[in-house]
Amino acid sequence: MTETFYDVLRRQGISRRSFLKFCSLTATSLGLGSAYAPKIAHAMETKPRTPVIWLEGLECTCCSESFIRSAHPLTKDVVLSMLSLDYHVTLMAAAGHQAEKQLEEIKKKYKGNYILAVEGNPPLNEDGMFCIEGGRPFVEILKETAADAKAVIAWGACASWGCVQAAKPNPTRATPIDKVISGKPIVKVPGCPPIAEVMTGVVTYMLTFDRIPELDRQGRPKMFYGQRIHDKCYRRPHFDAGQFVEHWDDDAARKGYCLYKMGCKGPTTYNACSTVRWNDGVSFPIQSGHGCIGCSEDGFWDKGSFYDRVTDIKQFGVEANADKVGGTAAAVVGGAVVAHAAVSALARARNQTGIDVPKEGDK
Amino acid sequence: MTRLIVGPFNRVEGDLEVILDVADGAVREARVKSSLYRGFEQILQGKAPLDALVFVPRICGICSVSQSAAASQALASAMGIKPPDNGRLAANLIQASENVADHVTHFYLFFMPDFARDCYKSQPWWHATSGRFKAVTGSAAGDFLPARAGWMRAMGLLAGKWPHTLTLQPGGSTHPINASERLRLLRVLREFRAFLERITFGDTLETVAAITSANELASWAERHAGSDFGLFLRASQALNLRALGHAGVAFMSYGAYEQPNGRWWPAGVWAGGPALLDPTQIAEDVSHAWYADAEAPLPPQRGSTLPIADKDAAYTWCKAPRLGGEVVETGALARQLVAGHPLAHDLVARDGGGVEARVVARLLEVARLVPAMETWAEALRPGEPFSVAGELPAEAEGMGLVEAARGSLGHWLSIRRGRLHNYQIIAPTTWNFSPRDSAGRPGALERALVGVPVGEGEKAPASVQHIVRSFDPCMVCTVH
Repeated sequence: MTETFYDVLRRQGISRRSFLKFCSLTATSLGLGSAYAPKIAHAMETKPRTPVIWLEGLECTCCSESFIRSAHPLTKDVVLSMLSLDYHVTLMAAAGHQAEKQLEEIKKKYKGNYILAVEGNPPLNEDGMFCIEGGRPFVEILKETAADAKAVIAWGACASWGCVQAAKPNPTRATPIDKVISGKPIVKVPGCPPIAEVMTGVVTYMLTFDRIPELDRQGRPKMFYGQRIHDKCYRRPHFDAGQFVEHWDDDAARKGYCLYKMGCKGPTTYNACSTVRWNDGVSFPIQSGHGCIGCSEDGFWDKGSFYDRVTDIKQFGVEANADKVGGTAAAVVGGAVVAHAAVSALARARNQTGIDVPKEGDK
Repeated sequence: MTRLIVGPFNRVEGDLEVILDVADGAVREARVKSSLYRGFEQILQGKAPLDALVFVPRICGICSVSQSAAASQALASAMGIKPPDNGRLAANLIQASENVADHVTHFYLFFMPDFARDCYKSQPWWHATSGRFKAVTGSAAGDFLPARAGWMRAMGLLAGKWPHTLTLQPGGSTHPINASERLRLLRVLREFRAFLERITFGDTLETVAAITSANELASWAERHAGSDFGLFLRASQALNLRALGHAGVAFMSYGAYEQPNGRWWPAGVWAGGPALLDPTQIAEDVSHAWYADAEAPLPPQRGSTLPIADKDAAYTWCKAPRLGGEVVETGALARQLVAGHPLAHDLVARDGGGVEARVVARLLEVARLVPAMETWAEALRPGEPFSVAGELPAEAEGMGLVEAARGSLGHWLSIRRGRLHNYQIIAPTTWNFSPRDSAGRPGALERALVGVPVGEGEKAPASVQHIVRSFDPCMVCTVH
């Protein structure tokens, strides 16, 4: 008899009522609408439970740290029991040889049916000796475990892009996992770390619907990485109005002005920080007065200083129309973001008759 | 003589193996092997100095704030600036939030699950510990995880995002806390205090912080057997953990939490009695680590980190830092000893400071820190400056010494022509889990494991697990 998620939940003593509540919360958090709640419930009651194997390579454990701190009600009941992280090095009970044996058993028993979640990445220099686990290079363990997985989740910037250890000169040749795993669907969930609710959301989606979420062309789930930080930033009106912080804790900082001149990478970063936020939705870097460093973008370590302002914005997305209107202004002002600020301000001012168009004096 | 390799360890941060040579039923020699290297010190060379604030937190996802605090202090010393009062208080609060979270996480998720092992099934307390602390299924995780998530809202209010906070800068904090945020912060502190007093201790924090001797602690434990701390003390007494895992070396602390006139818990060394700490006496020996040798151990200000894959004597990526040539132990116990807490003194005077003393010192710190944080939060003055501006010189040296949850963390940097010329980091577990040095002296954990009994056919003795975890190792910090 195959075991379903619902069976596991009930065994953990979770009531039917809590279960249904969880289903509607999941539907909402995934942006699916409440009509999806019964579908999630049905899937959980009928689909066999999918085990998750969680491996850690060259990394700092920040992804696990973020994950276990999810404030979402799912964490306690769902993440730790229902999702059943059958193999998680930092959290599980077994150790050493016993743990290795456990990994082999899960791989055999659920061959082709488990999800592999990877935190960190394999270093390839010196035959992989910069990351040895149980006497073997991590890259070997990774390849073997991926071979029989149904799908792979790349947690964080490390697994997705290489992250800090791959910053120049990348002494260990730390390599993103999609460069060493082939023939498997890989979902990239970048960020350093990713937001807890985004992590639980992605896992829950995959386990419930037994398919990977819709991805963008870089392999990130569209539902969480479809918009720039800048698009939903609460300081955006100040950007549009040309009001900027110039020094930490200056008068403009106290008024909550835009951090673009302090090096904020929000205009070029796709992530959900400005909507989902961090630590139980309390805040996010921009709200704490520091610019975004663009940690969910490929190669963000090697794009110049984090405290230099962005000058090379390629994607304009939602502002396409405004930019067309202000095309000449862009050429005159130079830096694309600056142009975009001026143009947005112009567009706003047009709708409010009688207000002077603010001058964007910055370069 | 047989050789036993214990590892990879779970429930520690990062990768770790311990190699034990066993003879006559006991460990004769131990070697600690850190098997992960990423190269932060190499990567930082040539970067813009302030970018260190973004790089170094990524050394570790669990002590990221401590790394960021050390970097901001090293940069502040290079720039010759000092944060204003609000900046100082915010930095204390941010660091304390992380240190408290780390201590409690260590207790609930990393250390206590060992008492749920089947080898303790015959113990009268096993049903209590396994029901409560068994990894993943134990009931404590259900109490602790939501409390911890709630606690981390403090970090959100103070610093925006955690792990990998960006708020701490050389001149103070980027986030001027306003009156309503301060109010919300006080509420978070109150809620977590309630969790600690109801579940962890079953007593007020002030009462726990006021315990002054081992005897008082024992009688407190009898009266609070139902609390999680009480449960630990009961198991610890049954297994005689106080006698287990002494390193027998001096204790060191860099001192923690800035006050207007020095640090609340001062810097110093404890070697049977108090001694002053001279940071210029620190040097790193690489004779048994996979790095290019220097003629003599180098002080970190002039340190080098050049990995070489092939080196006969080497067995780890961890360097061997020494203070005046001596091995030292660092951590909560060291901090409380140097700070003069009577309970820490009594525990060390009685048994030298082993597994039990290390765990007790951590929870003692939690009981002392949360009330201190309440005072710091009250002392914040919304509206007044949280940060001062400063200029980064083109040529400078800097040093930042802080206390992470796990012990003493130091950053040393030099700036040439406006870029980072050298950046060296010595983390707490680098001290505690260091390999042998050129004189053959083993590191603190390597000493603490000697003499531990190993039964016939035993592969991963529980006592070894207790000792290793009692240091709360952070392997990703150890080698960076």
